[in-house]
Amino acid sequence: MEAMVGTQPQPVTIAFDVMGTDHGPAEVVRGAAMLSLESPHIHTLLVGDRTLIDEALAEVKHNGERISVQHAADFVGMDEKPGEALARKPNASVAVAARLVAEGEAQALVSAGNTGAGVLACARHFQLIPGVRRAALATVYPTRSVRGAKEDPFSLILDVGATVEANAEDLVTFAVMGSAYARIISKNDRPKVALLSNGVEPQKGPPRVVEAHARLSEMHDINFIGNVEGIDIPKGTADVIVTDGFVGNVCLKMLEGVHETVVELAQYAYKESLRWRAGLAMLSSGIQRIKDITDWNQYGGAPILGFDKIFIKAHGRSKSRAIANAGKVAAKVVANNLTTAIREGLKK
Amino acid sequence: MSLPDRIDPRPPRRIYRWDLDKTYLQTEFDSLRDLVRTAFQKAHEKVAVPGASALIRELSEQGDSRLCIVSGSPKQMRAVLEEKLKLDGVKWDEFVLKDNVGNLLRGRFRALRGQVGYKLPAILESRVHAPVEAEEVLFGDDAEADAFIYSLFADLIAGRVDERVLSQVLEAGGVYPDDQARVREAWKKIPVSDPVRRIFIHLDRLTPPAQFSAYGPRVVPIFNYFQAALVLLADGHLTAPQVLKIAVEMVQTAGHNIITLSNSFQDLLRRGLPLQQAAIALSQALEGPNKLLAAMRPMPDILAAFSKRLAALGTPPPPPPVQAVDYVKLIHHALPRTHKGRGKPSEE
Repeated sequence: MEAMVGTQPQPVTIAFDVMGTDHGPAEVVRGAAMLSLESPHIHTLLVGDRTLIDEALAEVKHNGERISVQHAADFVGMDEKPGEALARKPNASVAVAARLVAEGEAQALVSAGNTGAGVLACARHFQLIPGVRRAALATVYPTRSVRGAKEDPFSLILDVGATVEANAEDLVTFAVMGSAYARIISKNDRPKVALLSNGVEPQKGPPRVVEAHARLSEMHDINFIGNVEGIDIPKGTADVIVTDGFVGNVCLKMLEGVHETVVELAQYAYKESLRWRAGLAMLSSGIQRIKDITDWNQYGGAPILGFDKIFIKAHGRSKSRAIANAGKVAAKVVANNLTTAIREGLKK
Repeated sequence: MSLPDRIDPRPPRRIYRWDLDKTYLQTEFDSLRDLVRTAFQKAHEKVAVPGASALIRELSEQGDSRLCIVSGSPKQMRAVLEEKLKLDGVKWDEFVLKDNVGNLLRGRFRALRGQVGYKLPAILESRVHAPVEAEEVLFGDDAEADAFIYSLFADLIAGRVDERVLSQVLEAGGVYPDDQARVREAWKKIPVSDPVRRIFIHLDRLTPPAQFSAYGPRVVPIFNYFQAALVLLADGHLTAPQVLKIAVEMVQTAGHNIITLSNSFQDLLRRGLPLQQAAIALSQALEGPNKLLAAMRPMPDILAAFSKRLAALGTPPPPPPVQAVDYVKLIHHALPRTHKGRGKPSEE
């Protein structure tokens, strides 16, 4: 998924949930400030504790003409249960931000805070697109292959947790939404869409996957390549991988676990053996290049798809660059009218 | 110093002092190429900062003010700069330019880039001739040392800076002895009074506003001249219809819109400027059968946006305490950008 977006002439306002991130509000403010300098057409609406925002903003280079603030006294912490927290704190920053987007004060929402709270806030304030029964949370994953005009190394996986039990119709909807999103963000005219299953044969998998396979095979507007297995995710066999929220979430956590284990093993090897240290040193430029190409900071965030408004979920550990890029992704999605693209895709 | 461009027999009630480059004019001189291009620009090729000429014209409408320009541009550019000001409908009373050729021929290389030794004596000598009750508003930018010099000027004539501090500042600022003597001589001739109401710093380089907090609330960093107009409305220097005229010019000629203007308004509110009454005055100015104002669409929308921005902030935090400016500590702000000490606080 490509993040660096060219300047669009049409002004767009992106609401940022400033609170509840791993690095604190100042990091989100710095990202928004960065955005105000780099993208004249993007205006940011910072939602959160006004005092914290003002203090952080006053310390960084920014363009005050492109930033406004909405005070929100509360926020949902990373470790809080979303439903309970939002019930207790109706004026939590993410809820206020979602409401402002719903009211048209901004065209999209970016949050690096509690994912569940973000999804729930959207569900409460946004409308599902006609034809969409359940929303899907997407994420991006670095792959061996590149895709689209921008040679994007990231593939899109959805759903990774919004809809735990998806039926065949939901999976088809996810495929349409993921395909529309990949077309816009990766500049990929015909993104390859696949269903995640336990075998490539059409009859493999639970009934909902088999049925979805049959229905997607008949949809000529979708470049459906059939089923893929877990091994195909890092290979980049497909540009959009469709699954239900339960499998997607397990899969995502496993991929993250593998990644962390590999890094830990490398660190262990670096400490324990001089020979391995020398080997890693020799590979360092290559490792750095892989890191640069697959750096999710460059991507910024991933969307929750299915609502009439845009929500980009940035990683909880996002630094300012990732936040700014998430804002650019949101602006690009708005400028390219993703909601209309999904609506039209579902009609076919 | 040049002779006045116009002779007004009435003593001025207000004096507006302006810098030119990066304050009134959009000037690039960060590289040698920029410098050469600026030097050979014709009057019609020079571009004023949006809203600057409208602001000057509206301020002069009061009829009992003086416009004093002190610019770091060389004297050789007088003809082209005067022509530019005339093209913009700006009438001035004093227009001081820097004698860079003289400095070069006399081997005064520090004076070529030094600001304190040039501007401070120039504005003090100008003040010598002003009525003691004449208020002052000064306009500068963040490219050089305007906030420092203007604040020092204000505190010198108000008797808040003593001879010892002045000597330390002039020495640390690399001011030549003859210019130091000019400063002292002019200072002694000025009766003690506290006439400086505001110092506006145009954020050409988008310097973080907090970097000016050491100068106290008298210094107001601004992203555009609509912000200056709002503050001057609150301070009683402009009327609401005059502010609307400035806003309309910025909308019509510089691409400003409802978002940038309302964000600019909120930016000042967040920095503690008391603009609520100014917003009410603007709102009242739009009422009634005034055809000119009726034509000023989308001003009513902008005012609605102002109300939203105001409501968005909740209870404002208490203003920071006013403290004396420590000029010795801040001298690094006044050194030329290439100077080793620039940007580093002096040793305590």
